[in-house]
Amino acid sequence: MPYLSILVLLPLFGAILLGIMPESRQKDGVQLGLVIGVVTFLWSIATLMQLKAGTFHFQLVESYPWIESLGIKFALGIDGITYWLVFLTTLLTLVAMAFSHAQKVRPKTLIALILVVETALLGAFLSLDLILFFSFFELMLLPTYFMVAIWGGEGRRKAAAKFLIYTFAGSIFMLVGIIGLALQAKTAGGELTFGLTQIQVLAANGSLWEGTGDLQKWIFWSFAIALLVKTPSFPFHSWMPDFYAEAPIIGPMISSVMIKLGTFGFLRFCLPLFPEASVGAAPILLSLAAIGILYGAVVAIIQTDMRRMIAYSSVSHMGFVLLGIFSFTHAGIMGAGIQQFAHGISTGLLVLLVGYLVSRKQTADFRSFGGIKANAPILAAIFLFAILGSVGLPSLNGFVGEFLALLGAFEAGFNGSYGFGAGFAILAVFGVVLAAAYLLYMFQRTFYGELSEENRTFKDLRPQELFPALIFAAFVLWGGLQPTVFLRPTELSHQAARMMAIGKPGDRPMWDDLTLEIASKSGPNLGALVRVEAIREVGVPVTSNFVVQPANLHPPVLGKKPDSKTAEADH
Amino acid sequence: MGENYSSIWLVILLPLIGFVLQAFAGPFLQAKFGKRAVGILAVAPVAAAFLLGAQLTMALASRPEADRVLRVSGTSWIDIFGLSIPFEILVDPLAMTMVLIITGIGSLIHVYSTGYMAEEKDFSRFFAYMNLFIAAMLMLVLGGNLPMLFIGWEGVGLCSYLLIGFWYKDLANVKAANKAFIVNRVGDVSLMLAMFLITILVANSDLAKDARLLSYDVMLPILQKILTNDPAMATAIGLLLFGGAIGKSAQFPLYVWLPDAMAGPTPVSALIHAATMVTSGVVLLNRMNIVFQLSPVASAVICAVGAFTALFAALIAFGQTDIKKVLAYSTVSQLGFMFIGCGAGAYSTGMFHVTTHAFFKALLFLGAGAVIHAMSHEQDMRHYGKLFKYLPVTGATMLVGWASISAFIPFVGGFSSKEAILGSALANSHAGQLSQIAGWTGLFVAALTAAYMTRMTWLTFFGDKERWRDIAPSTHHDHDHHGLEASHQPKEVPASMWFPLVVLAVFSVGLGAFLHADHRFDHWLYPQGLAVLGKVKEEYPNLLLLSLVAAIGGTVAGFLVYRNGLPKNQGWDMAKWSPLRRAEAKQFGFDAMVTNVFVEGGAEVANGLNRGFGESIIDGAVEGSGTLASRVGDIARKIQSGAVRTYALVMLIGVVGIIGYFVYVSSLGGGR
Repeated sequence: MPYLSILVLLPLFGAILLGIMPESRQKDGVQLGLVIGVVTFLWSIATLMQLKAGTFHFQLVESYPWIESLGIKFALGIDGITYWLVFLTTLLTLVAMAFSHAQKVRPKTLIALILVVETALLGAFLSLDLILFFSFFELMLLPTYFMVAIWGGEGRRKAAAKFLIYTFAGSIFMLVGIIGLALQAKTAGGELTFGLTQIQVLAANGSLWEGTGDLQKWIFWSFAIALLVKTPSFPFHSWMPDFYAEAPIIGPMISSVMIKLGTFGFLRFCLPLFPEASVGAAPILLSLAAIGILYGAVVAIIQTDMRRMIAYSSVSHMGFVLLGIFSFTHAGIMGAGIQQFAHGISTGLLVLLVGYLVSRKQTADFRSFGGIKANAPILAAIFLFAILGSVGLPSLNGFVGEFLALLGAFEAGFNGSYGFGAGFAILAVFGVVLAAAYLLYMFQRTFYGELSEENRTFKDLRPQELFPALIFAAFVLWGGLQPTVFLRPTELSHQAARMMAIGKPGDRPMWDDLTLEIASKSGPNLGALVRVEAIREVGVPVTSNFVVQPANLHPPVLGKKPDSKTAEADH
Repeated sequence: MGENYSSIWLVILLPLIGFVLQAFAGPFLQAKFGKRAVGILAVAPVAAAFLLGAQLTMALASRPEADRVLRVSGTSWIDIFGLSIPFEILVDPLAMTMVLIITGIGSLIHVYSTGYMAEEKDFSRFFAYMNLFIAAMLMLVLGGNLPMLFIGWEGVGLCSYLLIGFWYKDLANVKAANKAFIVNRVGDVSLMLAMFLITILVANSDLAKDARLLSYDVMLPILQKILTNDPAMATAIGLLLFGGAIGKSAQFPLYVWLPDAMAGPTPVSALIHAATMVTSGVVLLNRMNIVFQLSPVASAVICAVGAFTALFAALIAFGQTDIKKVLAYSTVSQLGFMFIGCGAGAYSTGMFHVTTHAFFKALLFLGAGAVIHAMSHEQDMRHYGKLFKYLPVTGATMLVGWASISAFIPFVGGFSSKEAILGSALANSHAGQLSQIAGWTGLFVAALTAAYMTRMTWLTFFGDKERWRDIAPSTHHDHDHHGLEASHQPKEVPASMWFPLVVLAVFSVGLGAFLHADHRFDHWLYPQGLAVLGKVKEEYPNLLLLSLVAAIGGTVAGFLVYRNGLPKNQGWDMAKWSPLRRAEAKQFGFDAMVTNVFVEGGAEVANGLNRGFGESIIDGAVEGSGTLASRVGDIARKIQSGAVRTYALVMLIGVVGIIGYFVYVSSLGGGR
């Protein structure tokens, strides 16, 4: 069963159906769109349930020739890194569609656009071919642009243009990088391919970048810039506040998935394909992450528009993801992974609730609220819950990612592993204080104080509004109390991505070599790369038959200093 | 090992269930069965937790001394390669002592609150927060690893935030709540960094046999091994941990949130801001005492901060006219005492004072609450006077509280615990010279304490006249938001409120002497002495006499000044106050300075960043192509007409373009 193709193409199919429906049948179109959304969501859950534990490899892999002369394939696969991102995508787009069904201006078109974006997002997360990835990556720009430009607020044109220019400019770099990478892979491997796994083999055995001087660095940065714009990381973030403030409220909701493409891209492409360049760039990217965490938080403090504040808070929170990834520690990278999911959930919830506020007052400026807790205690309670999730209160989902990412950054810094100190982590921790400051201030201005005369008629949440919010809230709590449920399926793939970057050539995991696995049974080999006996099928849990590869394979899991240090001591 | 103790989970779960019930079913129950039922439902889980806790404590006490540390395992929480943080509980004398204080005093305060909050509309919301607080506080003391402690640590901070801002319609309360949460978070950052440092040291050492690197049973022995040879690292961890303690236990300079926290309902002040939450820092220091035993430097810092805070807060208390503010600063000051003891290496004396202080300070706060309740919510002591006649039970119990904290009667109230702290500070040299200085400072502060408490007691209950009789009849109703009028007749509070006072008074009088006899308390907490420092001395020659002189001197001085009521130079006209008292009233300008620098200054920085950087520099680069932007906008406007179709066309053109480019490029590559 081609699970992934169906998953990716189902929303697009729905969008086409909506497109050919006559404009007069808006209501039917909306309902059809919602049905497609629900089916896609359920299908994504069915897909995730197919996955087997115990492997870092891609599963449910499909590959069809697309443009054969150029070696471009329609290849899809799913692994631990994308596990929760897929779920997040189908969940958030479904909620976005449900939210916009009451939209008065051409709701059918809006929902069709959301479905196109859903296809683009899922496609980008699941692509195993660089050109295919890039196509999906670009495919989401225009529908998003129209969403803002047609359904947005006062300054929608400028915001939409800014979004388009920023991301488009960023992705041009990436396109050049992809082409350069493919050509270099052809030089090294003799065959033109855009296949992710094929190129990664070359990177893993070291032949890809052998003797190419600074080329690896250049191509790394061409990817990195596109991804940093998407994340968005300081200093490429300024499209985001305008976008959040002017887009219809579903814009930020979808965007809270879309921005994960940035950090996902680092894990999926940069670490495996540009190992040395990734590690070499760590100090720069960690600086950007730490600055972003503090800068985003400081600027968030003075915002009066809730959507702008959430935008800056996202800049800050995504900094933790970047910090975790480029700490190159296991804790850090796991934290980054779970923080992506947690941030999607808690930002999704916050944006949804702000959407409810906006739908009642036609503004997101918190100065025109105040005291509405008296009228809307349920909304207030769940809003506060979302804020607490977002500020990383331990036992809610935001904490786990922040804690692990910061721990990772601190660990790498303390051990001096990659040429940077613990200062990044120490600075970044203060983002946690600032997050409490601006979010609680927003809450105070919105919900506390005396109820003004004009807000006397403010209504609490209706049941159909409460329902999606409660789903999110359940994940906020579940992710905080049982984070292992969310960490476990992602662990091997994250560890593999990290080892692809920090391992020595030849000791790196290879996506195309199914006899390589990462040991997940506790014991001295835990987290190490091992060779397993001829494997029949991807994902058959590895229970025994460890053939531990010789020498320097043991990667630093937690606290084990990198090999270079012990090697120095041996000299 | 701890199988028989797995019912300890219930101790945490009961109040948690209470919270869920109150939060989700409370308003319904209140409407259907009335406040009485809600009140009973609120008290029951805490009281049940107390009974269970008491039973488990007795079981623990009956075990052999060397075998009183038990781990009760639970489910997994955060689990990755190399690091496992499970939900687990450490049952030991320290934890169980705190359990008894939290649930015991907690039950009494819950009972009291059913009376105090009886007129409150949001009755069940109040008890939801209170139950949640108890659960979080129990998590803090029972958690078997530092991250679990951290759940409780931030959880109690959250409940404190919710309860300070309970009357959310008044923004002053909400601002105080925000301040409490944010200032606490500064301390939390320090605690987080301490956790990181410990994790990495333990992991690097390769000594850990399993991945529970932050669990006390794994971490503490390893820390002892590592830090013995690395005092600098011990100091680093010690100071980071103490940074967390400073925030939660309101020590200088992070004390600024606690006085404002008095905006919350008075039972909250008694439970959270006097008896339990603010003592978390002392619990943390006791739990992690091995780090401080190995770092004389960190210990000296603790002594210095504790002594300075004790003095600073005691001085400020003289400038306060709000009865709750006096008690708030008194709490800050008493917490300073506890840290002096911990800094000197006598960790059990800190806990000893936590215990006695919990009783008499809860008593004083609840008594103050009863007074406030009887005086139409007026908190300014300048409106009080001669209240003893109207409030005999409250007054009598408050006098017990006054005697307990002033410690002018040997072995009554806080006498023994304060004595133990000062004795150990003077007799030990673990923290070097500083602990002696701290000890003498403490002795001086003890005199100050007796004086300002006498001031409070006399201004409230005695003196020459009933000062609220002087309140001018309000001509415009805007003026009187306190509702106290000259004709007001104070009435003794209901039994639900005075009963807890009496119980607390009984314990305040006797507990100190009982625990002190034969060093019972010290022996209970540390039966084998400390790992490094061994048995710590707690006696200093002639100290008994000296502290009696100090306490009696302070009391007499206070009596002489205030026996006739409010002195003229402390009245409503602050211009007539002495300059010192005016400075004290304003906390010597410290709070204002903090606000200026961090709040005002921070906003300036944020504005500057936003304007200078966010908008001009970064966007300038992009909008340098501003014409391009507007042109794209024009095109967009044109295509909007048939959005979807045109957009499909655009995509098609784009894809063709990309593919064409590739064909071109690859042909170049092929030709090479």
